[in-house]
Amino acid sequence: MTGNTSTQRMPSYLEYQGKYTGIRAWILSTDHKRIALLYLYSQLFFFLAGLVMGLFMKLELIAPGRQIMGPATYNALFTVHGLTMIFLFIIPGLAASFGNFMIPIMIGAKDVAFPKLNLFSWYLFVFGAVIVLLGIFTGDGPPDTGWTFYAPYSLKTNTNVVLTVFGAFVLGFSSILTGLNFIVTIHRMRAPGMGFFRMPLFIWSLYGTAWIQLLATPVVGITFLMVVADRVLHIGFFDPAQGGDPVLYQHLFWIYSHPAVYIMILPAMGAITEIITTFSHRTVFGYKAIAMSSLAIAFVGYLVWGHHMFTSGMSETARLVFSFLTFLVAIPSAIKVFNWTATMYKGSISLEPPFWWAMAFIFIFMIGGLTGLVLGSVSTDVHVHDTMFVVAHFHYIVFGGAGIAFFAALHYWYPKMFGKMYNKKVANRALLLLFIGFNVLYMPMFFLGFMGMPRRYYDYLPQFANLNLLSTIGSWILATALIIIIVNLLRAKKGTPEEMDDPWGGRTLEWKIQSPPSLENFEEIPVIDHEPYELIEK
Amino acid sequence: MKKPISWFTLPFVLIVLLFSTTNSMAGNAKDLEVGITEHLDQYIPSGIMLTDHNGKLVDLKQIITKPTVLCFVYYRCPGICSPLMNGLAEVMTSSGLALGKEYQAITISFDSRESTDLAAKKRNTYLKKIKGQDGAGWTFLTGDSVNIAKATQALGFGFKFVNNEFMHEGSLIMISPEGKITRYLKGISYQPFEFKLAVYEAAKGKSSPTMIKVLQFCYSYDRKSERYSLDITRLTATITLIFALSLLTYLLLRGRRKNSNSVNQ
Ligand code: HEM
Ligand SMILES: [Cu+2]
Repeated sequence: MTGNTSTQRMPSYLEYQGKYTGIRAWILSTDHKRIALLYLYSQLFFFLAGLVMGLFMKLELIAPGRQIMGPATYNALFTVHGLTMIFLFIIPGLAASFGNFMIPIMIGAKDVAFPKLNLFSWYLFVFGAVIVLLGIFTGDGPPDTGWTFYAPYSLKTNTNVVLTVFGAFVLGFSSILTGLNFIVTIHRMRAPGMGFFRMPLFIWSLYGTAWIQLLATPVVGITFLMVVADRVLHIGFFDPAQGGDPVLYQHLFWIYSHPAVYIMILPAMGAITEIITTFSHRTVFGYKAIAMSSLAIAFVGYLVWGHHMFTSGMSETARLVFSFLTFLVAIPSAIKVFNWTATMYKGSISLEPPFWWAMAFIFIFMIGGLTGLVLGSVSTDVHVHDTMFVVAHFHYIVFGGAGIAFFAALHYWYPKMFGKMYNKKVANRALLLLFIGFNVLYMPMFFLGFMGMPRRYYDYLPQFANLNLLSTIGSWILATALIIIIVNLLRAKKGTPEEMDDPWGGRTLEWKIQSPPSLENFEEIPVIDHEPYELIEK
Repeated sequence: MKKPISWFTLPFVLIVLLFSTTNSMAGNAKDLEVGITEHLDQYIPSGIMLTDHNGKLVDLKQIITKPTVLCFVYYRCPGICSPLMNGLAEVMTSSGLALGKEYQAITISFDSRESTDLAAKKRNTYLKKIKGQDGAGWTFLTGDSVNIAKATQALGFGFKFVNNEFMHEGSLIMISPEGKITRYLKGISYQPFEFKLAVYEAAKGKSSPTMIKVLQFCYSYDRKSERYSLDITRLTATITLIFALSLLTYLLLRGRRKNSNSVNQ
């Protein structure tokens, strides 16, 4: 009906010979799948770089006192670690790599709407990253302001903050263009019969994300530019000595940071939905509820954003509204968790590695969410703010949420993307090790936070020693697991077409074409005549 | 595919441009006009003469004999100075350190018009908040404008008088018994363990730059300028919104593209 049978296999997008050869066949290719891999490799590279910095920080914290670095180095390290992880790994996130690969395929198209713009976005991403890196390695030293660049601190530090902030601006621009491309693609490129409510839920989540990117990123971009202008031209937007408002920057950044959380987490949830549906061998429970909750998250986030932008702003009620929003957004998230559970319930679950990754995601993400409620509502006499509690919380949310989902998606779509299957047993064991490492690393930080250990400091009092030692050991377990995971993926073995085309029994379009897909994905554009996730006899 | 190459050079040009500007700015080590410039590892000079709450003239350097937590406020401040003093009083009790034994505290008014009387009165208020601690370890100082300028400059505390109020940042400054500046704790509320560690470090004369957590300012900013930057933001937001809405309308009207296009390379 829709796919190719193995008799008419085309050269895959990996083998395809175009005008160019060698590396140029990649960095000049406008094929969405090759661009997706460019993103995938760059993101993994930055993730590993961030990981190494994290390991050094944990090594410094292994015991009280100075171990391997002083306070200035530590400040620079967590700033650069935060920058790398957030701007170069998590914000492009699943959208840039897996979104790019899967959107056209899952909606039955041959490519995105603007393939050249797509490649240009990747170049912008790389240039942004290069500028950020230049900012780190030049000037009086790496930025030490924390990844949020809070003005006026970022206005007065002697480190090279201008380049870095400008780099972040370029990165934002790249993600706006990607969002734009995705929106147009989803509207205009769907195959005949692929109505909006026949789209896989991963696509829905990327659609919601793309709108948030388009709406929220320009404002933080302008805010970054104002910081640059303050530094270079001394205009005084945020510098009190020049009549500026030092708190305004924090306010503007804060307005952005809320939607930004959804940019990170929505595609993650979308991928988890795909995985759970596939391995439960049932159609997803509450398709429309999940699709709509993606839009609802985008919309609610946007409403509050707009409210702050256009009402008198700057008030103290802002805080209240924001915490209320946190609860509001908890509702669509809860809907998803409920629907996942309902999908698994009575499903005949096959316990393959991607499924376990999805379970790890749900578990860790829920801990992150619940501790977030603690943060939002703890009475003032328990000072967990600016303690290790906060650090633990956002690693559970960001690494445990978006980061784990990234690897879940990688294990799920790996056979499709490369036509190879990794060793499943090793994958499962490595995941277990990662899960243990993750919790040994971050769980103690909750307790340390409750006990009052401040964050962003290279040293601590002796009473925090044991838990910190434990946490550092956790970081080693985690790193070991990650190495095994990556090596296992690299050593994946080619399988027969029958094994690789649809190894999981998936029901979305990508599983109906060959693995790895041909250049054009579909030799003939499919016509969709069934509901999403419907079981089809093969 | 020659076109993209010219696009791709654009960022390079920008990088080079930015480079030239940032490099010319580097080494600009001037102190901030308003806000804290960390003077870590510098020593407080002697000869800064201030008046304590008993009306006695003292040399700041000489009364620093223990690890010292110092803060600049002005007693009539309508802004963050009282919250800062409350935060300090709170952490003095919760840190478990003995005031007067393990460390001492010094509060200096940077408004030269404020009197010894007012300092003594304020002192009484705050001593009530640290029950069980030895109040003798907390000195409240005032001074004339020359000596205040000497003190604030030595400690990197920039402030400015505007519209009958002072613009300034809130921070505790840790000083070693030898008068060396070891750490700045910014903001107006402090973690007990952070405070304790900072006192221990001051005792050893070990200095460390701070990562700022909260910026707290007393400022009466220029409303016009705030509106200016907000306007820029709003303009951006409006343009974005108009663009997004037209895009959506266009997409809804146009519907799907005819799917016959094929991919190039
Ligand atoms: C996807 C993964 C990760 C993300 C998105 C992430 C993100 C961040 C961010 C945004 C910060 C805050 C920086 C700041 O305060 O400005 C941070 C701090 C930190 N991260 Fe990560 N991180 C990740 C993984 C890791 C890993 C694997 C480790 C350890 C091996 C680690 C260890 C740390 C440590 C020790 C801090 C500093 C805590 C402090 O002293 O305040 N992170 N991370
Ligand atoms: Cu004040």
